[in-house]
Amino acid sequence: MNLGCGNGPQAVFKYRPTTDDLIPEANKAVTKTLTDDFGTPEALVAWERFPINYGGVKGTVASTEGPSGSITVALEGDSSKISKNASLLWVSGSQAGGKSAETNVKGFNVETKTLQLASGSSTPSVGDRFVVGFGEDMQLGRVVYMKNCMHCHGVTGDGNGPTGKFLNPRPRDYRNGKFKFTSTQSQEKATRDDLHRIIQYGIPGTYMPSFLLLGERETTAVVEYVRWLAIRGEFEKRFVEELTNDYSQTAIKDSTDKAEKSYLEKKKNKEEAEKPLNLSKAIKAAGTAFKKYVDDKELDGAVEETANLLASAWTQAETPEVLIIPTSQRVEDTLESRERGRLLYMSNTTKCYTCHGPTGRGDGAATEDFWDKPGTSVKYPNRGLHDEWGNPLKPRNLTSGQYRGGRRPLDLFRRIRAGIKGTPMPAFGDTVLKEPQVWDIVNYVMSLPYQPKQPTAVKHPAEVVANNEEKPAN
Amino acid sequence: MHWWFPGDGNAYSTLGGKIDDLFYLILVIVSVTFVGTSAALGYALWRGASIKSDEKVWFSHGSHSLEVIWTIVPSAVLLFIALYQLDVWAEYRMKGFAKEKDGSPKVITVVAEVTARQFEWRIRYPANGKPLKPTPQPDDIYSVNELHVPTGGLVSITLRTDDVQHAFFVPMLRVKQDAVPGKMIPVWFDATMPGKYEMLCAELCGWGHYKMKAMLVAQSADDFEAWKDKASAEQFDDGYRKPAE
Repeated sequence: MNLGCGNGPQAVFKYRPTTDDLIPEANKAVTKTLTDDFGTPEALVAWERFPINYGGVKGTVASTEGPSGSITVALEGDSSKISKNASLLWVSGSQAGGKSAETNVKGFNVETKTLQLASGSSTPSVGDRFVVGFGEDMQLGRVVYMKNCMHCHGVTGDGNGPTGKFLNPRPRDYRNGKFKFTSTQSQEKATRDDLHRIIQYGIPGTYMPSFLLLGERETTAVVEYVRWLAIRGEFEKRFVEELTNDYSQTAIKDSTDKAEKSYLEKKKNKEEAEKPLNLSKAIKAAGTAFKKYVDDKELDGAVEETANLLASAWTQAETPEVLIIPTSQRVEDTLESRERGRLLYMSNTTKCYTCHGPTGRGDGAATEDFWDKPGTSVKYPNRGLHDEWGNPLKPRNLTSGQYRGGRRPLDLFRRIRAGIKGTPMPAFGDTVLKEPQVWDIVNYVMSLPYQPKQPTAVKHPAEVVANNEEKPAN
Repeated sequence: MHWWFPGDGNAYSTLGGKIDDLFYLILVIVSVTFVGTSAALGYALWRGASIKSDEKVWFSHGSHSLEVIWTIVPSAVLLFIALYQLDVWAEYRMKGFAKEKDGSPKVITVVAEVTARQFEWRIRYPANGKPLKPTPQPDDIYSVNELHVPTGGLVSITLRTDDVQHAFFVPMLRVKQDAVPGKMIPVWFDATMPGKYEMLCAELCGWGHYKMKAMLVAQSADDFEAWKDKASAEQFDDGYRKPAE
C-alpha cells in the first residue's frame, strides 16, 4: 500500500493494552494463538469454525473417469467464479490435510462439469470434497477495507486509524463485537444486512459516508471482512479476559502490593508473618503456574470456549428468530396517536425525557450529570453520557430530523425495542411497552422535527397543525 | 471526434453541445496562435543563426507598430470570445431567472435539494405533486449518492454544503457548480437522454475527496415519479408483512 511517496508503514494487527499487560509467557501464548488462527494483515488465516464466507466454490467429486487430471464434479455455487489457475483445496479424502492438499485448477468446462487439474496432481476418489479459490472474497474484502475503511477504523478495526482521532463521534471500534444500529434483539450481534445497509447508505450526522457505488461484490466482501475483524477483536478481548485476573502484570502487582502491605502491618503489630514474594519473583511464579495451566489443557479449553461462544453468537444473528419485525402495522399517524406517544415519552415508564429532553432536543437532565464508568465507582471527568467505548455521547436531538440508524418507521421501532447497542439507550423489549405504544412513540418522535420552533407545554392539537402548515420548523 | 471528452464523448444536455462548441472554438484559436508563434520563433532562431557576418541586423526592439499590432490583435480575439460566449453563460447562469420571450414564466422543475458534505451527497426530494420547500417536510423523500432527475425539460437543484466547499460536477452533462457554505445555489440543466451519469465533487474538499463519487440517474418523467413512489414506500416502511395464509 502506498501513502504519498514511497511505502507507508506496514499494516499490523495491534494488540489490546490488556494483551500487552500479560506476563511474557501468557502474552506469547495469546499472540501465538491470534497469529495462528487469524494471521496478519499480509497473510490472513481463515478459521473455518466461524460463520464467515471466506469465498470460493465448494464441490464434490462425482466421477474420476475420463482423461487423466480431469474429474467430473458437483458444485455447490456459482461456477462462473472459478478462474483459471485458481487454487483448489481438498477438504476431505485421502489428500486433505496432507502435503498435496492444495493444487491448481487449469480450467472448468461448464457443460460437462469437468474440472481440469494442474498436471502432477494425484487423482482423488469419488466423494472427496474440495474448495476452489478459497479465501478470494476475504482477500477482496481486505483490499476494499484498506482502501476505504482503514483510514478511520484502523487496520485492526479499533477505530484508531490515522484520521480516527480527529473525528467526533469517534469511528466504531469493532473489537468488542458490537455495532450500534442493528435489526436484531438487544443481546444479539449485527446481521450481514445491517452492515451492508450502513456501508451503502452511511450514517448521517457522523463521518461515516455512503459507499453506494462501491459495487455489490466489494460491499459483500467488506462486510465479511468487518465481521471477521469483529470476531478477531472480540476473541482477543474475551480470551485475554480469561487470563487477566491471574496472569496480567497489573493484577500480580496489585496482589503483591496488598500482600506487602498486610505483611508490614502484621510486622508492626509484632505478629508472626511470612515475607511475601517480591514482584519479579511473583511474576516468575505466575509464569510457572501458567505453564501448568497450558499443560492441563486449560488454555486450549479457553480458546475452544471463546471460539464456540463467538461462532454461535454470529451464527445466531443470521437466523430469522432474532430479527425484530413488528407483528402489527404502524398505528395511524394521527394527532391522538402522537399525543399518546408524547405522554409515554414524558412518563416515568420510558423516561425518554431524562436524556432526550422534554422538547426532544437531546438536552435532558441526564446530560448535566456526572456518570460512573461502567463496573466501577469512578466518575467520568466530563458531564454527560458516555458509550461503552468511553466516548462522550450526546442523546439524539430528535428535532433535527437526522436519524443515524435510518429514518424508516421500522428503524425507529427497532431502536426503541432493542435500544442502541453499547450506549445508554435502553432496550424496552416487548414487556414494558406494547407494540401499539411503541408505534405511538414513533409517531410522536417522527413529528418532532416539524413542530413549531418554541413549543409550549400544552397546545391544542389543531393549533399545532395550523402552525405546522404555515411555517415548517427547521 | 469527441473521443477525448468524458464518457462516450457526447454531451447529454442541450447546453452541453454549445459548451463543447465554445471549447472547440477556443481550441482552434489557441492552436492557430500556438502554431503561428512557434513558427515565428523558429524562423527567428533559424534566421539569426544563418545570418552572414557582412549582413546588416534589423533591430525590432521598440518598434511602435509591432507593439500596436500585438496589443490590438489579442484584444480583439479576447473581446470576440467574451462577446461570443455571453449567450451560453447567460443561459447557464442567468436565464433561469428570466421569463420566456413571450412573457410566460420559465418552466423549470425544481427536483431536489442536494447537500454536499464530507464525503457524500445527501439529497432531499419533495413528495410527488408537491413543490420543494426550503425546509424539510414530513413527506420529503431522501436518497444518498444517487440523484434522480426527469428528462425532457429544464430541471433545477438547490445546491448546498454542510461543511466545506464542494463542487457539483456531472461531466457528461457539462454541468459544474461550486457549493459554498451558507449559500443555496440553484443549478439548472437538462438531461437529453435517460441514463446513468457519473456525478463527482470537483473541488478538493479534504482527504476523502476521491470518495465523493455519486450517480445521476436521468429517467423519463413517468419513471421518475414511479421511482419517487417506490422510494417513499421504502422510506415509510413499518416492516409489517401480512403473514401468509
